[in-house]
Amino acid sequence: MASAFRPSAARILASKPASAIRFLPQTRVAAFHVSQRSQILPPGPQIVIGTVNDPVPIPTSNAAHGSYHWAFERLIALGMVPLTIAPFVAGTANPALDAALGTALVLHSHIGFDACVTDYFPKRQYPKTRTFMIWLLRGATITAAVGLFSFQTNDVGLTEGIKKMWKA
Amino acid sequence: MAALRQTPLRLLASSSVRRAATPQAIRITTRGLASVTTMPPTDKDPTPKKKEPVLKKFQIYRWSPDEPAKKPHMQEYTLDLNETGPMVLDALIRIKNEQDPTLTFRRSCREGICGSCAMNIEGTNTLACLCRINRDASQTTRIYPLPHMYIVRDLVPDLTNFYKQYKSIKPYLQRKEPTADGKEIRQSIQERKKLDGLYECILCACCSTSCPSYWWNQEEYLGPAVLMQAYRWLADSRDQMTGQRKDMLDNSMSLYRCHTIMNCARTCPKGLNPGKAIAEIKKMMVQSS
Repeated sequence: MASAFRPSAARILASKPASAIRFLPQTRVAAFHVSQRSQILPPGPQIVIGTVNDPVPIPTSNAAHGSYHWAFERLIALGMVPLTIAPFVAGTANPALDAALGTALVLHSHIGFDACVTDYFPKRQYPKTRTFMIWLLRGATITAAVGLFSFQTNDVGLTEGIKKMWKA
Repeated sequence: MAALRQTPLRLLASSSVRRAATPQAIRITTRGLASVTTMPPTDKDPTPKKKEPVLKKFQIYRWSPDEPAKKPHMQEYTLDLNETGPMVLDALIRIKNEQDPTLTFRRSCREGICGSCAMNIEGTNTLACLCRINRDASQTTRIYPLPHMYIVRDLVPDLTNFYKQYKSIKPYLQRKEPTADGKEIRQSIQERKKLDGLYECILCACCSTSCPSYWWNQEEYLGPAVLMQAYRWLADSRDQMTGQRKDMLDNSMSLYRCHTIMNCARTCPKGLNPGKAIAEIKKMMVQSS
C-alpha cells in the first residue's frame, strides 16, 4: 500500500518545470528490474488458518501414528543391537536369528525412510509427490523383504552372506 | 563525625587550595587535621586519554516491505566499539539512533527477560541483549533475522504461527474440581522441582527456529519451545487435564517430528533444554496411552 503514496516518476515530472526534467537523477523503476529467482524449492506464501488469535487446529488423535508408532520404532531399534551382536557371540549363523535380523532390518529401514518422506514431502505442499514417494518406499520395502526371504531360504542366509562378503 | 571535623580552619584551607598559585602553597595551607594533600606536582594533563577507536563492521540483513521487488541484502555499518555498549543490542540501538533510523528490530527489556530481540547473530540464534560483541575488529559481525521465518521487515520475523501454536497447547492451569478444603492448590517441594528449567522459558523462539524439523514442517510440528511448554503443563501436579493434553500430541506431526537433533538445547539463550522436555513427553506418552 505504501507504494501508492510514494511519488511516482510521472507525478514528479508533473510537479517540476520543464527545464528540470532532465535533472531527475533517481527515478525509481525498481519494479521492472527484478532479477530472476532460481530456487529449487521456493517457499510458499504464508498461510494463516483462521484469525491470528485462533490456535492452530489440533490434529485428530491417533496412537497408531503417534505413541505406539514411536514405541514400536524404539523397540525395533533396541532389538537390532542384540540381533547384530548375537552372530558374533555365537560364532555361527542360526537361521532363526537370521530371520529375526532380516525382519527387524526391513522394518527399521522402512520406518526410517518413512520418517524422511514425512519430513521432506509435506502433505500440504507436495501431496502428489508425497503419495508417489510413499508408494515407492512401500515397493522398495517389499522388494527388499522378498529378496532377503529368498536369500534366507535358497542361499546361505544374511549373516553368512555378510561374512563371505567381509572375507572376499 | 565528618560534620564535626568541618572546622573553620579546614574550610579556610580548602578555599585557599582553590586560590593557591603553586603546589608548594597547597602543601602548606592544607596542613590541618588528617587530610594532608600529598599530590606530587605533575605536568600531566589530568583529563583521561582518548582510547584508540576500535572500528568494528556489522553486516545486517535488510529487507523492506515498502520495496517488495528489491531483494534482501546485507547492509554494512561501522561502529567504534569504545563508544558502544558491550552487547549486540547496544550496537543495533546505536546504529538506529546515529546512522540509520530505518533499521528495524524488536527490543524491549535489554536484559534477557522479554525475548523480543531474538535474532541470528554470527550464525547462532540468540538474544541480542545477551550476546556480547566480538571485540575482534578484523571480523565482521553478521546479523540475520531468525532463520526460516517469514520476515515482516529487516530483523523482525513474523511469529504469528508460533504464537498460534503456543495457544493451541492451552498454556494455563486446567482443573476439574476445586481442592478438597477450598484453599489454594498446594504442591510438594519435589512436585515444584519438576517445573524448574521449564517455567523460565521466555518464548523467544530461538530454539524453534533453530530446529530443522521445525523449518520443514512449521505448520504442523509444534517445535521445541511450544513442546517444552506443553511438558511444563503435563508435568504440573496441579493440572488435571493431563489425558487431554497427551491426546492432543498423539499424532504423527505435533510431537513426533522431533528427531532429537538437539539444536534447541544448544542455542537456548536461557540455558534450558527443550530436547529433554520433549523426550520426557515421549516417555509419558508411552507409559499410559
